Amino acid sequence: MLGSFLVRFAFVGVLTSGTAYYCAQRNNSSTLLNLGRYAYSVTVASVMSFCTLLLYYILTHQFQYTYVWSYSSTDLPTPLLISTFYAGQEGSFSLWTLYTTIIGVILLQYTSRKKYEAEVMLFWSMILGFLLLMLIVKNPFELIWDSFPKDLLHTGALPAGLTNFVWLDQAKGMWAQYPVEGRGLNPLLQNYWMVIHPQILFLGFSSMAVPYAFALAGLLHRDYQTWVKIAKPWTVFGAAVLGTGIILGGYWAYETLGWGGYWGWDPVENSSLIPWLVCVSSIHTMMAQRRSGTFVRTNFVLSILCFIMVLYSTFLTRSGVLGDTSVHSFVDPGMWAYWLLLGVIIIFGVLGVGLLLLRFKEMPKIRAEHSIYSREFALFLGAFTICLAAVFVTIGTSSPIITGIIKGKAAAVETSFYVRTTLPLGIVIALLAGIGQLLWWKTSNARQLFASLAYPLLSAVLFAIGLVIFGMKDIPILIFSCSSAFALFVNLLVGYRIFKGNPKYAGGAIAHIGLALLFLGFVSSARYDDTQTVSLEEGKPVSVLGDYTLTYLGNRPLDSERYGFTVEVQHAERTFTVMPVMRYSSFTNGMMRHPDILNMYTKDFYISPLSVESPDDQQGETLSFLKGETKDVQGIKVQFVDFDFSNVEKGKMVTGSGFTIGVILSVTKDGKSETIKPLMKNVGGSISYIPASMPDDSILFTIVKLQPNREDPSKSMVELGVRDPHAMSNKPKAETLVVEASIKPFINLVWMGTITLVVGFVITIIRRVQEARSKD
Amino acid sequence: MKVKIIVAAAVIVAALIFGAVSFVETNVEYTDFQHAVDTGKKVQVKGEWVKSRDAAFDRSQNQFVFYMTDDNNQELKVVLDGAKPNNFELAKAIVVKGRYQHGYFHATDVLTKCPSKYEADAETVKKTL
Repeated sequence: MLGSFLVRFAFVGVLTSGTAYYCAQRNNSSTLLNLGRYAYSVTVASVMSFCTLLLYYILTHQFQYTYVWSYSSTDLPTPLLISTFYAGQEGSFSLWTLYTTIIGVILLQYTSRKKYEAEVMLFWSMILGFLLLMLIVKNPFELIWDSFPKDLLHTGALPAGLTNFVWLDQAKGMWAQYPVEGRGLNPLLQNYWMVIHPQILFLGFSSMAVPYAFALAGLLHRDYQTWVKIAKPWTVFGAAVLGTGIILGGYWAYETLGWGGYWGWDPVENSSLIPWLVCVSSIHTMMAQRRSGTFVRTNFVLSILCFIMVLYSTFLTRSGVLGDTSVHSFVDPGMWAYWLLLGVIIIFGVLGVGLLLLRFKEMPKIRAEHSIYSREFALFLGAFTICLAAVFVTIGTSSPIITGIIKGKAAAVETSFYVRTTLPLGIVIALLAGIGQLLWWKTSNARQLFASLAYPLLSAVLFAIGLVIFGMKDIPILIFSCSSAFALFVNLLVGYRIFKGNPKYAGGAIAHIGLALLFLGFVSSARYDDTQTVSLEEGKPVSVLGDYTLTYLGNRPLDSERYGFTVEVQHAERTFTVMPVMRYSSFTNGMMRHPDILNMYTKDFYISPLSVESPDDQQGETLSFLKGETKDVQGIKVQFVDFDFSNVEKGKMVTGSGFTIGVILSVTKDGKSETIKPLMKNVGGSISYIPASMPDDSILFTIVKLQPNREDPSKSMVELGVRDPHAMSNKPKAETLVVEASIKPFINLVWMGTITLVVGFVITIIRRVQEARSKD
Repeated sequence: MKVKIIVAAAVIVAALIFGAVSFVETNVEYTDFQHAVDTGKKVQVKGEWVKSRDAAFDRSQNQFVFYMTDDNNQELKVVLDGAKPNNFELAKAIVVKGRYQHGYFHATDVLTKCPSKYEADAETVKKTL
């Protein structure tokens, strides 16, 4: 009750602050400004309170709240318990709201010093208002008996001894029962990445709204220049944080989830990449505007677009519109949430574009005075190319919607779409990242430029020749590698020179070094990875991927659900031991596989468990029977009468719980007929067979294969293994572990590149903050 | 100035055409088994794993073989390159990507659609009372 009230109260607060700020900027009234500030403080207090309350409910296991019940349980350790705060939609919107609120506090202080408070906070209140509205629609404080009234709401006498209930209306005898245990957190999410990754991602999403608020404030204020200066550090901050979040997600997928790679072009991944690309591109044009006053309109467009893409991505991944076309399950959040998410894109889009068009004519047209050999032009081209990449990724991710509208049937693109379209753009970006650093503002001397290009270009060509010698044949990839190497050499050179002078200014060069390393890492680890699926029989060395020898040494339980598989890896006369883990999760009723990675300087050896095959049972001869058919087996007449698959068992199969299918056999020996029944048991997908033997124990029948025919039951078939239980079976075969082994060459470049990139961003933020503080 | 605009327009148009062609070429149609059998094209089919039939990993081929019914209840044998996909057992629905050949559906990719955590199911509530 209190929680829902606080959410609504915060919404009223933010409406008030928005209205007050709107009037304040119209009337230039300091009273109204104070009212806006006051209302915003009330909002902050309410948001903080309901987030604390939700956390308190989670920590104290208040399972009468649907959200708490849905994602947590009493057996979770505290850090994971805290992370269940944002395990579901309602909670992750709460986290987004919380970060937006906190950023708003800093923004308020920051903009009040810049005389920009009313305008910026007006738009900030609107953004926060949308998030709070979302929380009213998808309420994290919904009571569980409102979610499941049929099962939990009761009228009448209380059963004796019941303690987990509340009276709703004692006079009418209405009461509700609530669970004493939660459903728990999906084990896939139960690791430290869950504690850190979503936090960073949502902080990034929240900060992506700042350039939007500044841009609209600038338009409202008819200020087409200074807004860029004060917005710039925020834009870089957003790019740094969201970038970190994206790559952490990639590392999570690679290291723990066992997806085999760090990037799969999945809609969820793309949806954070798109705004990031737009944001990064706007950093470049903002820089150009700061320098020469040009790209006024471009910067408005990009800053608005960046936030719209955040909203659009949210719509894609949260509205259920992608449906069946992705690995992640996107569930329909309900009609209200769908239309709210769609409506918000339209509202903020129309607001941004409308205001821009309104001011478009009166914006000063600054004649571009720069030549083609200018840094401005290179920055513009770079920003344009990055945006084009964002466009392609957006088109690819929206494919189910586009094809749904055109063809009436949703279809996704293959990941090759993204690789094909972004590769040429990557080449252009890499070249520009090099050339741009050597260009001067306004204009450069062409001869000087070519002279400074000579060494890096020569090194890059030598690098490419080296790659060809090592066997790289793919021409586009070769060009991409060569241009990335060029970008690397130029930025190392430029970065070194700047660093010697003033390290504060080296942010750009360092970020581009990171980018070049990242690009080279993409080529080596994704294009030249080598994968092989092998079956490892226990104790028997198998040679894979050239010079690696794997020996499976057996498994051991790590806890009640997890098994570790010890595999010895021999490579270059050294021996390592790795232990990939498989986990049978009772929560999801499924198998989860965790890879193990052998980190070496130049490559990762990645080993992912696929399955364990038990030693083959000696099934003897296999015979197949049509329904009703009789066969003679070692002097016994065996007839396959029917399946024994009662409606009770069918029901169990439909609901996904364990079920049993039997095969009714009529066996006749020496004129005496009996009925026996071998069984197949399916418990959570793991199938076991229970054989049945003749009454005199002479023959054992085991199900090998069931082939029921629904249209024509008389054509149903069954395959049975038939053997003499007393015959000595051969020496039992050993257990076999099936693994996928792969080598990811130079994958460390990806992580190194990312860290370097983020360091570059951080240095830039520090510099831009200092610049924004200075008066000019 | 005019030259600049023409060059810029040409670049944008070329990029869009390139994007559109790639889009069409890499788009994998969402359809049913009948269409897959008829055309032999690379498609995606959504359906359910036939749990009553054998599903096994073929060690010699490193392929996983199972049976699946599509939304029209048509059953087909599916051969997947690789091992049993994660969460296969608990998948509410599966999506196979590949083409029909040699009498079976040869899948290069399988997506498992898990019963969602969001669809809090009344059954589970009863268990935790």
